[in-house]
Amino acid sequence: MLACLCTVLWHLPAVPALNRTGDPGPGPSIQKTYDLTRYLEHQLRSLAGTYLNYLGPPFNEPDFNPPRLGAETLPRATVNLDVWRSLNDKLRLTQNYEAYSHLLCYLRGLNRQAATAELRRSLAHFCTSLQGLLGSIAGVMAALGYPLPQPLPGTEPTWAPGPAHSDFLQKMDDFWLLKELQTWLWRSAKDFNRLKKKMQTPAAAVTLHLEAHGF
Amino acid sequence: MLFQIQISRMKTSNVIWVGNYSTVVKRDPVLHWSWKSELPLECATHFVRMRSRVDDAKIPEPRFWSNWSSWKEADAQKSLGRDPLFLFPKDKLVEEGSNVTICYMSRNQQDNISCYLEGQQIHGEQLDSNVSAFKLNKVSFIRKTGTNIFCKVDQKDVIKGIVLFVSKVLEEPKDFSCETQDFKTLTCTWDPGTDTSLPKRSSQSYTLFESFSGKKILCEHKNSCNWQVDSDSQEMYNFTLVAENALGNRSVSVLFSLTHRVHPKTPYNLFLKNVSGTKATVTWKVHPIGNYSTLLCQLDLLGEGNVIQQHNVSIKENGEYLLSELEPDTEYMARVRCADANHFWKWSGSISQKFITAEAAPSEALDVWRNVKSVSGRPTVTLFWKPLSKLHANGKILSYNVTVENLDRLSGLEVHSVPATANGTELTLDQDSYQIHVTALNSAGPSPASVIVVSGDPGNEEVEEERVNGTEDGFSVSWKPQSGKAIGYVVEWCDHPQDLPCDLQWKNLSSNTTSTVISSGAFRPGVRYNFRIYEISTERMAYLLEKKAGYLKELAPSDNPQVVVSNLTSHSFTLSWKDYSTDSQPGFIQGYYVYLRSKAEKECHPGFKKATLPDKSACCQHRIDNPEQKTFVMENLQPESVYEFLVTPYTSAGSGPLDAFTKVTTPDEYSHILIRIILPMIVCVLLIMITCYLKSQWMKEKCYPDIPDPYKSNVLSLIKSKENPHLTIMNVSDCVPDAIEVIHKPEGSKIQFLGASKSLTETEFTKPAYLYLLPAEKNYSGPGPCICFENLTYNEAAADSGSCGHFPVTPEALPGQPGPLTSPENLLKALEKNYMNSLGETAAGEASLNYVSQLASQMSGDKDSLPANPPEPVLCSEYKMQMAIPLGLASPPPAENSGLSSTTPLDQSEHYR
Repeated sequence: MLACLCTVLWHLPAVPALNRTGDPGPGPSIQKTYDLTRYLEHQLRSLAGTYLNYLGPPFNEPDFNPPRLGAETLPRATVNLDVWRSLNDKLRLTQNYEAYSHLLCYLRGLNRQAATAELRRSLAHFCTSLQGLLGSIAGVMAALGYPLPQPLPGTEPTWAPGPAHSDFLQKMDDFWLLKELQTWLWRSAKDFNRLKKKMQTPAAAVTLHLEAHGF
Repeated sequence: MLFQIQISRMKTSNVIWVGNYSTVVKRDPVLHWSWKSELPLECATHFVRMRSRVDDAKIPEPRFWSNWSSWKEADAQKSLGRDPLFLFPKDKLVEEGSNVTICYMSRNQQDNISCYLEGQQIHGEQLDSNVSAFKLNKVSFIRKTGTNIFCKVDQKDVIKGIVLFVSKVLEEPKDFSCETQDFKTLTCTWDPGTDTSLPKRSSQSYTLFESFSGKKILCEHKNSCNWQVDSDSQEMYNFTLVAENALGNRSVSVLFSLTHRVHPKTPYNLFLKNVSGTKATVTWKVHPIGNYSTLLCQLDLLGEGNVIQQHNVSIKENGEYLLSELEPDTEYMARVRCADANHFWKWSGSISQKFITAEAAPSEALDVWRNVKSVSGRPTVTLFWKPLSKLHANGKILSYNVTVENLDRLSGLEVHSVPATANGTELTLDQDSYQIHVTALNSAGPSPASVIVVSGDPGNEEVEEERVNGTEDGFSVSWKPQSGKAIGYVVEWCDHPQDLPCDLQWKNLSSNTTSTVISSGAFRPGVRYNFRIYEISTERMAYLLEKKAGYLKELAPSDNPQVVVSNLTSHSFTLSWKDYSTDSQPGFIQGYYVYLRSKAEKECHPGFKKATLPDKSACCQHRIDNPEQKTFVMENLQPESVYEFLVTPYTSAGSGPLDAFTKVTTPDEYSHILIRIILPMIVCVLLIMITCYLKSQWMKEKCYPDIPDPYKSNVLSLIKSKENPHLTIMNVSDCVPDAIEVIHKPEGSKIQFLGASKSLTETEFTKPAYLYLLPAEKNYSGPGPCICFENLTYNEAAADSGSCGHFPVTPEALPGQPGPLTSPENLLKALEKNYMNSLGETAAGEASLNYVSQLASQMSGDKDSLPANPPEPVLCSEYKMQMAIPLGLASPPPAENSGLSSTTPLDQSEHYR
């Protein structure tokens, strides 16, 4: 199934959009981003299971829901429904882009600290996929004519716990990083689905929709 | 000075530890002493005080303690923040197996706090109203990311946790040793044991310390370290290897002399030179070790993986050795390794080289055997030989040479070349004796010749066969020497006697041997093996001594014979299985069991005994002990009964399958009579009928000719028997007619020859017409004595009683005739009656025909039938009308009339003239 999806994604740029005007518009890019989001969601499910087992109980217990103590710097995916609905396209895309930029940075720090080679390989693979999602979002924003958000100087997120940061809190942060990443992927799927529908209606452009089942 | 220290927990009165600390006190000293608390200090306030005393031997006793200092409080809780819950110690690193105490401190006494170790809730000891402690004994390593312990306040979103990192125990390095290959570098190696590294914690490190030189290096690897030898001055080395991690260290030492730790490098340039069939020279080189060292090199010669030869050679730099006693055409491997010749420490690595020795002529004669048989009257010798073993072949066999020499006649040698792939050849010879030489050839030459003498005369083949018992080891075959001049014996057998070819095998035995055990992997149970023991004479001729046959293990017969039932009567039948071969069975047939069962009979016949079949049914069993008796008569049976029988052979291993019984039904008692009587009768009748059919013409001539022959009539004899000696048959030649006269033509006697539609009964026939053929004598005045002959085969009308004194008498008419037949009237009546009966039996409308028969003269006829008293010459002859009633014919064929009478055939007009 994974191979199938990879093949689909690989051939996505080659699929000719059936556009009457000849300009495919942002539709295919949004669809591609949506598919990639779903793929990452599936990939994270496996990675999170491995990593939480690596941390040990209680982090790998399904009902473990600790307070968000040291993970305040992580971008929050949860948002009020009305607020989410009122977001315009630019803001919606910008929030996604910023969130994944931060999460990718944190994830790379996680990779550096992983003790086993197998875990490092899995994390590196996921980071590459997440980098692809970030590029895809940037593509959608460019197609819609939105500028990419510029990181403020000195606000580059780092993953260097201070001396007071205990190992247990560090594990909590890792737990929350994975959890927040999962939530962001769910939210992004909804964001891009919404954008996709929105783009389809006024453009009257016919795009070829490739569905990937099984995720 | 000696300091006594007291430590209290929670309150000063709760002293938990007392200890002494002794040290030398100098001027303005600041002394440091530390104490590790099992309970994290953050969880409880600790107090410490001390007192001192002089502890110097120079100062005489008594020595007094000073006063206790005031209690000093160590309260870590004050430095903690305002969090509602604390858990200590934070991220502690301990060695596996240690005891660890964990405590939590709550700000609010009302909070209900629960703690978990690896997801499992743990319960501790409450030290204070808001402090509890958990003691973990002998903690074990779970994972590298540590053991998670956390506490949470129920009903609140408060959670605190710590990670307890448990490290594996640091082990002492094992197998620590150092050696040099070149007196320049010492390489020390060891087994580091378990890795104690943890994430974000430094792993164990290894340090090498040499005590004589005082040098110390940090090793780059966990299991080896290189130490540079500075000069030749230091002979002895004392190394200490220290393994260290965050929790402690382990060390191990070794003391050695450098010259005793020489481990030479692997030799190089190993070559084989001058390789012949049995010898080869090996050369190699070694890396020099200093200027004075001598190396001891071990040269191994390996064949098929095993060390065949081992030689030790002391060399400085170049090694050479001549290997001998090698086998031709054999692959060997030369292997060399070296060590310090003075102080052996370790062998160097090995270098090896394979080589193959040259070929030599085969060293041994072939093992040859022969089989002589007669093909189209000519003796044909099949030679067999066993391929030479690799040990004796000394190379690749290219071909075999077979040389045939006639011993009886002076003739040239006949040489045959047989390809190397063949293991035998066939020669067609004559009745002479031949000496056959067989040699094997390889590139180096021929093998010694194997000589065998064969003769066209197969010798005495009529040797009685004996039995031999097989065991797990094979067949133990023994024989009796015959001539006493044997140079050896050969036992011959077939590995697969049931196949063609049967894979002939033989075994050569010396002349002083009279027994052997024949074993083969091909021997199978249930197969009959035939062994023939030959004596080899001094002329190398083989004579058959004995024959043996045996089974490795006898089996029960797998098949039953095909039994034929014969001589079936109401009381017996015969069984026969003569086609059953006893030689090709899976065991020696010892006899047969005949099983008989019948629903009609419950008791067994004499000679039978009751037996139970595998299906639990009962039957009667008779045993035949003679394997050559292949018939059996079942007797005393009941007629019209169904019997089932089975014949099965038996060997020492058991009998054949008891499954397929054959049913026989005995006939009733009279059927054989019917068969014996009726059948022949039917055959006879059929034969008669066939004969009659085939001889119908003859029968007709004999029994019912169209024109009867009076000579053959029995009427004559009948008449004679009636004492009428004058009656005779007139010969036609004796009675020459010269006139025909119609002397009587009664009315209405017109014979309607053409009246086919009118029956004879309608014709007035009471007085048949007679034609009289009168003699020429004039004096004939009336009817005289005359001969009357009738053909009794035909139905005929009666003769005129008045004109003929004699009348025919049918045999049938005689007994039933009431009146005397001698009276013409009676006779006429009888004839008429017979005639009318005949007519009544004749279909109406059929044509009737009257014949006129010429009566023969009494003087003529068969001489045999002449009467004793010859009658007087008759004066007249009387013709008597005879009637023949040919069925289905309107008129007789003219040819018949013409041929039967000397009279000219007359038409009706002439008759009536």
